[in-house]
Amino acid sequence: MKTDVGLLPNAPPARAAQKAATRQRVIVAARSLFDTRGYQGTTIRDIARDAGVSVGTVFTTFASKSEILSEVMEARTAPLYAELDRIMPHLRGPTVDRLRTLFAVHIQFETQTARLFLAHIAAAYDWTVTSAARPFGRNLRLKAGIADCLEKGIEAGDIRDDIPLGNVVDLIMAAYAWTFRLAVNENADAGTMIAVMDRQIGLIVAGLSARI
Amino acid sequence: MSGEIKRRMKHITPNSLAAETPTRAPTRRALAKQATRLKVLTAARHLFSEQGYEGATIRDIAAAAGMSTGAVFANFTDKSDLFREIMCDDMAALAAAMEDAARRGHGVEDGLLKIFTAGYSFYQSRMQLARAAFSVSWDAEGGPTLRGMPYSNAIQEVFAQQLSTAVDKGELSQQAEIKLRSQMLFDTYLSNYPHAIFDGWSLDALQSRAREQIRILLAGARRG
Repeated sequence: MKTDVGLLPNAPPARAAQKAATRQRVIVAARSLFDTRGYQGTTIRDIARDAGVSVGTVFTTFASKSEILSEVMEARTAPLYAELDRIMPHLRGPTVDRLRTLFAVHIQFETQTARLFLAHIAAAYDWTVTSAARPFGRNLRLKAGIADCLEKGIEAGDIRDDIPLGNVVDLIMAAYAWTFRLAVNENADAGTMIAVMDRQIGLIVAGLSARI
Repeated sequence: MSGEIKRRMKHITPNSLAAETPTRAPTRRALAKQATRLKVLTAARHLFSEQGYEGATIRDIAAAAGMSTGAVFANFTDKSDLFREIMCDDMAALAAAMEDAARRGHGVEDGLLKIFTAGYSFYQSRMQLARAAFSVSWDAEGGPTLRGMPYSNAIQEVFAQQLSTAVDKGELSQQAEIKLRSQMLFDTYLSNYPHAIFDGWSLDALQSRAREQIRILLAGARRG
């Protein structure tokens, strides 16, 4: 059966290229739909239609809607993390400032497509979420970035060394996620959200400070 | 609202309450309508918990309630109306449970922990409904449906009240930034739900995590 050939690892290059092109079309269509209609408002059928492929084709490439969104986010955030990898090692100063910079960069980036980001958070609660999907909260790169900031602070001595690190990371992640409420509720811009996040980081870090 | 009414709201919906305490006896027709609404709400609650907000359709809900979709639409405008009504009933009961818990607290840290725990206990038997509520609340269209519900503000107010009392008593400094801090406490309270929903955390596990979080969020405002 000729149609099975594409599933083999040694598939002809033309077929592999076609598969990659289809995948790309699905991701581009999905990204625009999630950003305009949100997570619930977007169906696999919409995505297939906009990408010009059949629903069956979408399902041969992705197991679920949440997995498509994860791919969209991954492709989108690749340049963000490349930039952060470049910036973060050179940051100096107190932990609170380094955390604020980390989040200012994130907010500046994510508010370009705020609704896409909300879809990313909503996907965490989806009933059909599959194990390969990485909705918000399973974003290990951001969590690692926060943990890294805090560990450097402990080393430098401005953060207590007995803090429950994982819990503090989650506390900061929660503040970050909920800051995006402002984007929906009040149409807040990046500057407003960064100011709010700065205050929240300040409040949390005050509770971890080695001086108290 | 009296404490007695609030306690009763845990078991009956505001609508059935309104039907039970009119100045005149309700007509047979009003009672029948009330019974229909309750039947739909019960079926909807069950389906939202089983299939999520997206997965549950009005048609399924009608079938489960043993009536036509027309009969459902005679009582509720649409699915979001139905969901809002369920959330409204729950939040009223939750706000009352949290206020009770707050009164039993000894000091600000303990009071806040009791408020968190009251919430987690309340949802322990209906975690999947909480999951549906979170998914709706993060939706750009669904979010506004749940926001601005009267009881949502009442719940946030319970957190703020604890902090104000602590400032008055001198437990926390005058510069405690009550608004920001109570908002963050509320967000933190909500942020632990995924652990309960997806990782099956026990009430004890949630409580010990919450205790640490509350300590950190209060530390910067401690006096002395």
